[in-house]
Amino acid sequence: MIEKQLSHNRLNFLKISVYFLSFLFVLKIVNLQILRHDHYKGVAERNKTKIISQTASRGRIFTKDKVLVAGSRPSFSLVYFPIGGISAQYAEYLAGSLSKYLDVSLEEIKKKLFLAVKRGTPVRIAENLSDHSMFLISELKTVYQGINIITEARRFYPKNSFLSHLIGYIGKISPGEWKYLRNDKNYSMDSYIGKTGVEKRFEKELKGKDGGVYLEVDSKGRLMQILEGKKSVRGSNIYLTIDSKVQVAAEEGLRATGSGSGAVVAVNPRNGAILAFASLPDFDLNAFVRRAGANGNLKNIKEFNYATQGTFPPASTFKIIVAAAALETGKIDLKEKIFCPGYFDAGSRVFKCWKKEGHGLTDFYEGMTHSCDVYYYNIGIRTGPLNIEKYAKIFRLGVPTGINMPHEKSGNVFGPSRRAKKKSYWFIGDTLNLSIGQGEMLVTPVQMAQVIAAVANKGKFWQPYYIDEVVNLKGYKTFESKPKLLSNINLKKSTWIHLRESLKKVVLQGTGYSARIKGADVYGKTGTAQNPHGEDHAWFVAFAQIDDNPSEIAVCVLVEHGEHGSSAAAPIARRVIEAALRHKLTKPPVRRQVAGQ
Amino acid sequence: MFLQKSKTKKSKMDWVFFGVVAILLAIGTISIFSSVVALPNQLKIVRTHLLALPIAFTAFFVMWNFNYQIFQDQWKIVYSVMIIALVGVLFFGIADKGAQSWFRLPFFSVQPSEFVRIGLILVMANYLDKNIGKIKEFSTVLGVLFISAPIFFLLIKQPDFSAIMTMLPIVLVMLFCAGARLFHIFLIMGFAFITVLLPILWTMIDLNPELMQNSFINFFYGLSRVNWHLAAVFVILIFLGYALWFIFSEFYRNISKIYFIGIVAVITLGLFSGIAVKKQMKHYQQKRLEVFLSPNTDPKGAGYNLIQAQVAIGSGGLMGKGVFSGTQAKLGFVPERHTDFILAVIGEEMGFVGMILVMGLYVFLMRRVVNTAYMAKDRFGYLVNSGIFGMFLVYFSVNFGMLLGLNPVAGVPLPLLSYGGSNLVSTMIAIGITQSIYSRRFALT
Repeated sequence: MIEKQLSHNRLNFLKISVYFLSFLFVLKIVNLQILRHDHYKGVAERNKTKIISQTASRGRIFTKDKVLVAGSRPSFSLVYFPIGGISAQYAEYLAGSLSKYLDVSLEEIKKKLFLAVKRGTPVRIAENLSDHSMFLISELKTVYQGINIITEARRFYPKNSFLSHLIGYIGKISPGEWKYLRNDKNYSMDSYIGKTGVEKRFEKELKGKDGGVYLEVDSKGRLMQILEGKKSVRGSNIYLTIDSKVQVAAEEGLRATGSGSGAVVAVNPRNGAILAFASLPDFDLNAFVRRAGANGNLKNIKEFNYATQGTFPPASTFKIIVAAAALETGKIDLKEKIFCPGYFDAGSRVFKCWKKEGHGLTDFYEGMTHSCDVYYYNIGIRTGPLNIEKYAKIFRLGVPTGINMPHEKSGNVFGPSRRAKKKSYWFIGDTLNLSIGQGEMLVTPVQMAQVIAAVANKGKFWQPYYIDEVVNLKGYKTFESKPKLLSNINLKKSTWIHLRESLKKVVLQGTGYSARIKGADVYGKTGTAQNPHGEDHAWFVAFAQIDDNPSEIAVCVLVEHGEHGSSAAAPIARRVIEAALRHKLTKPPVRRQVAGQ
Repeated sequence: MFLQKSKTKKSKMDWVFFGVVAILLAIGTISIFSSVVALPNQLKIVRTHLLALPIAFTAFFVMWNFNYQIFQDQWKIVYSVMIIALVGVLFFGIADKGAQSWFRLPFFSVQPSEFVRIGLILVMANYLDKNIGKIKEFSTVLGVLFISAPIFFLLIKQPDFSAIMTMLPIVLVMLFCAGARLFHIFLIMGFAFITVLLPILWTMIDLNPELMQNSFINFFYGLSRVNWHLAAVFVILIFLGYALWFIFSEFYRNISKIYFIGIVAVITLGLFSGIAVKKQMKHYQQKRLEVFLSPNTDPKGAGYNLIQAQVAIGSGGLMGKGVFSGTQAKLGFVPERHTDFILAVIGEEMGFVGMILVMGLYVFLMRRVVNTAYMAKDRFGYLVNSGIFGMFLVYFSVNFGMLLGLNPVAGVPLPLLSYGGSNLVSTMIAIGITQSIYSRRFALT
């Protein structure tokens, strides 16, 4: 009776319902562990492994004579692994603790922490840690969840500011660049990318392939062990046409001038290869890759490239072209002497020669040697401004040289036809200004280097280039510059002879005296560009030749506010030429001391 | 059929049953050791577990040797000790995870609510045994509530919701097995359901504030705070109850008023206790409720735990990754891996085979408890065993269900497998009592 009251059936019912429940659980376990095992296995693998990309060592940049100008060296980065989310409180605490050891602000760190959590990928909180802070943080990383230190290759410029305008620098990828590169797996949002110069132009070759390290991490993001690493592949090496000795001579020469600003461009007239490319003021390339916070002085960096962006009146160096025009059109007699009283009366206005007392009777050679302005006023009028303008264009002024540098200026050719296009009048004073390269005529140092190189090789205009070759990791050349002939001007043989002879005399007897070199013939022309705002700018263009061998060095020197081409610019040209011909110049015999004498 | 007290003799214990318990304990111990390898306090956990094991076995043998009937005789003492322990913990206990539910002792801490659970089974069994003649009456059910109310109240004060979650079903199972009217049980279940459902719904509205634009939902949410809304609801409820009774009594002449009064009362009381629960809820419990409602919305937040536990089990595959070689648990992706989520560790390291073995052993264990209930010499023994069965049933379904994503992460351990000294000892006490009932199933003749 009691048994029935107790309802044994009810307990039995519960017992059977346990079997039903178990059956449901078994179904679910089968689903989890058998049917969807592969899926969950993958999830578990991904859980415990995190990949952190390791920046590949950027390709190295060498000069022609194998001097390293851009390399890489190891640096340490602080990385945060965003696993298991992050509370605002912990972020605050972590950022507060880390900012003590880093040069990064607290807000910046917090921003990066939340960014990492949002994206679910590791983020570099600080790069290029100093030895001191790296030591402190590696002590503390057991305390702070998700914090790890990894080693990476970092750009390093062993010679700091050497060749800085040509090499260019790298920087963090900008939002604009990221737009184009986001589909490129080799770039991430905190990648570095070439911003200017060779670094930018050969970004793809220099970049290499980033590697990665698979790390086993726990739920707190702490590194447990390194599972395997995907080796990064170093980028290709680049060999420049620059000769380091010539470059040093150019940079030091410029630096020694009073203003310390200007440009030196030295090219090989045989192919257009640039041997030296100096523009001052320059900047320390390493400043761009220093650890964050330490580069507060980046704003003071002057990126203005005098060699390609600086436009100045060519001044007396333009007389080369005027002379060529005059000789070629046959408007002058070489023997004819023109009297220079120190001024030229143009009727409405008197134009002065640079030498107040005048040069007296001056023939073609003397006119060039002493850069007599009055002689060229006369020649200019005879030749005619249209012809001068035509030859300025033949000598490729007013168009970019195609040196392949960003923002190269084309300068300005000024003459009657240009004036006519602007529907303005041409006066005789314009002809006179044109004849001595003053006024509206504007050229860049690279253009003048190209002009003087063309004189050196008798009419060949090579496109200037500075990359010799790109060699990949395996030693294969993936790129090799081929000299490109832009134009070849055919002037009469006599024109070349007289022009070159006169330029030789400039150095031997005239304004370019300080550029003469023992053992080589130097052909040059000085120039002093009038500057209404301050001191005049000094020009000197020259090339050198040993015996009758083809010239291998042409150089253009511009010293901003250098006053006189003869005193400021010519000595630099001499140093550059001497450096370029250092192997070919016969050294003076060493005097031997004979014992017993 | 049931015999007089004291006229019993002791026989052998159920060695098969004991063997199953021992295997479960062995699997549990291995899993605990494996799961704590990378934990900072692993030594302490291993030490405490190794300390708890002999204590648990001692408790088991003591309980086995005791005649279980003494608990019926001395139920007042049992009940007093329970109340004193629960009151004492509120004053002298220490807090962990927001609940003040631990006594600190020199070598370990004791959680009285674990032992109160066994005490409740004994006291309830005694009460139901005494009132078995009036079991169909509602007054008996009210008596059950009257006895358990102080305990639940003290547990809410801690607050230890997981203890309440496991104890309430035990009471229901015992009432069910004692033969109470299903309507009465449904009333209690309804009350409990409303008490649990309301905080869930309110939490859901908390999560989706845009729902508040609906005036009805806004009104409903207003009920979570005691204000004039409540009075209106009561009036409506009483009127509805009366109206229903009026309509039904037109068709069924002898329908009892008690059904309608009961329903209205249960809804009203449920509403009140729902408000109380919502107010008492700690932040982490609120969070767990939120996870239950939307486990996938915040994979790095609270739902993360549940997902990672499933990943652990799923990645185990057929044979598992091998003991001590699991990665999910060891690397900390599975939280509470040595306690509430021990099944995830077993699933990951021992695979499908381990899971099915553990489940089979558990089902077998429950089956044996039921069998022992049928073998019991007296009604008290039967009811005690029903309660212990109910206890295992709750642990079993909540734990497996939790890991499979069927019900929320409630912070309920799996006895004999999970780490937890108090739980282990109290479970072994329960098993000892079962064995005591089993061994004394024959009358002294």
